[in-house]
Amino acid sequence: MGPNLDLDVVGMGASRKGNSGPYLRGMLALSGIEKAYPLAGGSLPVLKGIDLNIEQGEMVAIMGSSGSGKSTLLNVLGLLDGFDSGGYDLDGVNMAGLSEKQAARYRSQFLGFVFQSFNLISFKTALENVALPLFYQKVPRRERQRRAMEMLGKMGMDDRADHLPSELSGGQKQRVAIARALITSPRVILADEPTGALDSTTSHEVMEVLREVNATGITVIIVTHEADIAAQCDRTIRLHDGVIIEDGKSGEVVEPTAHGARSQD
Amino acid sequence: MFNRETWIEIAHTVTANPLRTALTGLSVGLGIFILVVMQGLGFGLQNGVEQDFGDEARNTVWVRTGTTTLPFRGRQPNRRVQMRNEDEQRITEQVVDAPAWSGRRMMWGSTVGYKSEQGNYPIVGVEPDFDDLELLPLRGGRWLHADDLAKESKVCVVGENLLEELFKRDEAIGAFVTLNGITFRVVGHFSKNGRWGNSMVYVPLTTMQRVFNGSDEVDQMVLSTGDLDLEGSTAMVGAVDADLRLRHSVHPDDQRAVRVRDNQEEFAMFERIFVGIRLFIWIIGGFTLLAGAIGVANIMAIVVKERTVEIGVRKALGATSGSILSLIVIEAISLTLISGALGLIAGVATLNVAAPYAQHDYFTNPEVNLRVTITALVVLVVAGAISGFVPALRAVRIRPIEALRYE
Repeated sequence: MGPNLDLDVVGMGASRKGNSGPYLRGMLALSGIEKAYPLAGGSLPVLKGIDLNIEQGEMVAIMGSSGSGKSTLLNVLGLLDGFDSGGYDLDGVNMAGLSEKQAARYRSQFLGFVFQSFNLISFKTALENVALPLFYQKVPRRERQRRAMEMLGKMGMDDRADHLPSELSGGQKQRVAIARALITSPRVILADEPTGALDSTTSHEVMEVLREVNATGITVIIVTHEADIAAQCDRTIRLHDGVIIEDGKSGEVVEPTAHGARSQD
Repeated sequence: MFNRETWIEIAHTVTANPLRTALTGLSVGLGIFILVVMQGLGFGLQNGVEQDFGDEARNTVWVRTGTTTLPFRGRQPNRRVQMRNEDEQRITEQVVDAPAWSGRRMMWGSTVGYKSEQGNYPIVGVEPDFDDLELLPLRGGRWLHADDLAKESKVCVVGENLLEELFKRDEAIGAFVTLNGITFRVVGHFSKNGRWGNSMVYVPLTTMQRVFNGSDEVDQMVLSTGDLDLEGSTAMVGAVDADLRLRHSVHPDDQRAVRVRDNQEEFAMFERIFVGIRLFIWIIGGFTLLAGAIGVANIMAIVVKERTVEIGVRKALGATSGSILSLIVIEAISLTLISGALGLIAGVATLNVAAPYAQHDYFTNPEVNLRVTITALVVLVVAGAISGFVPALRAVRIRPIEALRYE
């Protein structure tokens, strides 16, 4: 059963896809982001001055070979990891120097995550997993359950609400994970290799769900190493050795500097 | 922090890992259980000994004589040393200044009859002060008077076992009984603890000497030390011992011919032993608690380690470090509190069930010091909270992505 999404994006209508709106620098704006991982006797630079603007409603694929920095970039965007220098504005707010509590609040209100390994909590049912983000928004239990069940219904998973993750297939787990990411009506969905653990048929279904999500106005950013997955996105950013080497419509090659300049106009 | 939602979440995680929960609970519950049982055993032993002493006033000196084991002043060993009325009179008038005293003469296995009922009981000849020296709580009638001794009256005071076994439902006071065939009138009855306590029949010493023996022999002498401290009572013991050895030509090192026991000194010795036992219980209890706390700490460290990825997921979903910390700490506190309480209940129940089967002269009423036990429980709960807090703090301090990648 395919998804039947009718999502309400926080503070926005469902028709803002491709609209830069009031955000001068885009929904997500990175400038000169650098990040290195400390190593014994030195450090390993992973992101080397990333300039990037992503508008509300875009569906972006981030590609690159292993070690190119694509997952690190996604984690920086998702406030799951910090950066050493540069600037990052999320919805016009500077994310540099956020306290742990503020970062948690931004993750809760703006961002939704989908992981390659699903990261569902094993001892919670599908319904409880989907409802969990609302617990941290202090939504009452009944309301949490009602909304989680509704979200599972939209994912065609309401008949699996009481199942534990171990009782679900890979595709079903990812649908639950997407439902969990969407339950707080985020502005951005960050998906790290969402189809990496799935067969091609299921991958296609999951991408269909993500496209439906994007169609409601939610920004979707997908890290992938699969060209056919990236091809289903509007825009592809290709990283190599911590630097954006391609940025443009999926299937096109655009010089990264040109794109960075476009978003800052 | 302590809202219903948090508790539901905790209940969820606790019940989701029954083995982990059981192991944590076991280490805490067992710690408290062992502490409770050991305390109970210690107190049972102490209560038993105190009860045994409880029959006798602590400020008393008991004097007994026996057979000589050493030759002395031309006399051979194996000579019977017998105290007599004159010894008692001399000691109480010339040797020591005792505020109360009594001679004591015992006849084991005497036949006591009432109407058609009959039984064997010890008959004890004593003097009026005796009920102050060996505590005999009267339940009816009166104790022996000086007048009874002066007149060598055939009166007796009986223990409550005789009321049940001989008198049945009859009124004992004023009733006549036969003691080895001689009629005595019951003037009082008492109830006390101890193996033989309630089977005794007390009669005036003078009457016993006249009626049953026709002699002035005394088996024992009991002297009150009054308000004397241990040093004073020890001096009294020395004086009595020296006088008897001198009068009866007993070697100074002959321990069996003259025996003078100071209850105060013995009780002090038992007190020292119990201090040692209590210290031992505290040490064992302390180590048990320490083992429990280490067990909880280990398990909580493993729990948090196992849940590091989950912590990362929760943070990605919007959880703050505080909310995760409080969740884990409350979980640790709840686990230790509930399992500790179960250990406490199990320990008390075990003592209650086992106590009737473990009654002995030197072991009775194995009670539990609730204050100590609850303190121990609080210590464990705090240890549990710290055990949860420290690894949880370490886990929530790492970046969400590191937690998510944790293996």
